[in-house]
Amino acid sequence: MKRSQLLLLLPLVAPLPALADDFPTSGRVEYVLECMQKHDGKQEYLYKCSCVVDRIAGALPYDDFVAMSMALRNQSLSGERGGVFRDAPSSKSMAGKFRDIEAGANKACAVPQK
Amino acid sequence: MSLQKKGFGWGACLLLAAGAAWAADSDVAQLTKDPKVWAMQAGDLNNHRYSELKQITSKNARNLTVAWTFSTGVLRGHEGGPLVIGDTMYIHSPFPNKVFAIALEDQSIRWKYEPKQDPAVIPVMCCDTVNRGVAYANGKIFLQQADTTLVALDAKTGEELWKNKVGDPKKGETTTNTPHVFKDKILTGISGGEFGVRGRITAHDINTGKTLWTAYSTGPDQDMLVDSAKTMTWTDGKMAPIGPDSSLKTWQGDQWKLGGGTTWGWYSYDPATNLVYYGTGNPSTWNPRQRPGDNRWSMAIFARDLDTGMAKWVYQMTPHDEWDYDGVNEMILADIKVKGQPRKALVHFDRNGFAYTMDRVSGELLVAEKFDPVVNWATHVDMKSGRPQVVAKYSTDKGGPDVNTKGICPSALGTKDQQPASYSRKTGLFYVPTNHVCMDYEPFQIEYTAGQPYVGSTLSMYAAPNSHGGMGNFIAWDAGTGKIVWSKPERFSVWSGALSTAGDVVFYGTLEGYLKAVDLNGKELWKFKTASGIIGNVTTWEYKGKQYIGVLSGIGGWAGIGLAAGLTKGTEGLGAVGGYKDLAKYTELGGVLTVFALPER
Repeated sequence: MKRSQLLLLLPLVAPLPALADDFPTSGRVEYVLECMQKHDGKQEYLYKCSCVVDRIAGALPYDDFVAMSMALRNQSLSGERGGVFRDAPSSKSMAGKFRDIEAGANKACAVPQK
Repeated sequence: MSLQKKGFGWGACLLLAAGAAWAADSDVAQLTKDPKVWAMQAGDLNNHRYSELKQITSKNARNLTVAWTFSTGVLRGHEGGPLVIGDTMYIHSPFPNKVFAIALEDQSIRWKYEPKQDPAVIPVMCCDTVNRGVAYANGKIFLQQADTTLVALDAKTGEELWKNKVGDPKKGETTTNTPHVFKDKILTGISGGEFGVRGRITAHDINTGKTLWTAYSTGPDQDMLVDSAKTMTWTDGKMAPIGPDSSLKTWQGDQWKLGGGTTWGWYSYDPATNLVYYGTGNPSTWNPRQRPGDNRWSMAIFARDLDTGMAKWVYQMTPHDEWDYDGVNEMILADIKVKGQPRKALVHFDRNGFAYTMDRVSGELLVAEKFDPVVNWATHVDMKSGRPQVVAKYSTDKGGPDVNTKGICPSALGTKDQQPASYSRKTGLFYVPTNHVCMDYEPFQIEYTAGQPYVGSTLSMYAAPNSHGGMGNFIAWDAGTGKIVWSKPERFSVWSGALSTAGDVVFYGTLEGYLKAVDLNGKELWKFKTASGIIGNVTTWEYKGKQYIGVLSGIGGWAGIGLAAGLTKGTEGLGAVGGYKDLAKYTELGGVLTVFALPER
């Protein structure tokens, strides 16, 4: 994933200097806890999920991570509200890009895709 | 009354004592005057969503930190917000519509109420199983359940006092609105415009639940509680009587029976004129060719006498709707200068993209301007006729069935949906969460079947083209001139209700889950990422000398709640929100209320 491509997809992002690796601790903990829960809370996933979130944090500024992961989650919203996330090209591409980044990180960290 | 006072904070006690002077009245109007409490969903009778509290200011808001959290245990979309009366908070959940009374002191649960409702109601709710919160008056908590049951609970114990079912889910009738207590009555509405229900509001006795009057949005004059000679509407630049059969004449045959015009929004009440204000939703179906005529009084603002239900005036924003621009959004009552003249105004940000300023006493149309510049389905509202001037290429009726009309702004979500704006009594401006989304709309022929969706259109939505690329804005609006004062772009639509305060801070939530504080120029002061997307409304109160800000997170959808929802047995300890271990007593998992305050110095 080239950063320039990401910027095109996220028109509201201010021009970025070098990637900040700016995930707050709470953001990382939240990701790891949810990821561990998906894998039955096994201890090994403390390390594997931490690996995943660190990789994601290396690829994306935190605000973009929040927006893109939210776009992915919200595609399943019911009613016309969910339509915004299912239809809108900007949301769809954010969701798709995030899925790719997360899948890459999962692979690198030996986390099975769920 | 004396029993009800027990357990309340001092301020509320004094107010209750004062309130007792009005025998026929309820105490809620008086309670809303105390900034320490939050006694109605919108903060007051006027739908201001404004607080006089000013411990949190534009100077210190950046220091806000989490004070405590509370999980409702329900995964679906969480709209509305808590009420705070004295030392107790009352908070609801989406279906199954639980209610919790929480002690502010230690966040322990005083009581919990969970109605038994037939889950068959879920598939007939068009837009998630949301609920916009409970109401309070005279020691009672009022809940409008999804299955249309209006219930009164004892605020001290959670015991049921009375119930009244106001609709029939088998016909697609459901309820999502908060009930509204005005004076000695409680008013409620109905949802189901996507199922061909016939919209109405009902008024009930707060002590017994007995239905006092019912006013339909469509049909014969006597059903609508209108007087053909005395109910007025804006006609050729002045107010004139609506005349006989004002609704029947604008529908083909008996289509008004499936007419929609539902009433799930935010009502307001002016004690000076005894008028209650609310809006009506879309006409059924979404295929406009199937229902020729203006389809009155869908898409309209009603002003009704609270005691009799009789309409004093009515105004239709979108005659013959072709885009699903429901007219239910909040009716905000404000005394402002309009074009230089002081007016008792009603301000309404309609889904159709126009913000209307009306004289709330007479019903005169004063201002109707676009509150998002991309709105294109109409060039303007003709101020003489009061009608929007529809642009032919965006008319889905002209296009007709099975023709895809493209590039319509706003989308069916409207430039703004129900998420209520805030009116600052300090600045005189309105702070408005908006959508910046356009759509392609293709109507199709549909037959009516009771309890089945009666939509008749497919649509696709996208961020407004040739703009900043985001799907929302948070704006400040001058309703006296009809102009945007500032506009802050957002990546996603803003579906959270706003709050403004005397501390010169305006709060709103975003779909990413950020609660944001901005100053009076729209400059971001602070943001905090909560557990899930925010579609609830921001609330403030004071307890033991400290100002708190609270907002519900939880947007619905798979894993939409994120961590808080996902916790299961093995990791339950992690969910001991607020640091308590006794989960049964202190917390459930699901949508989360997050409460913020300034740190101790």
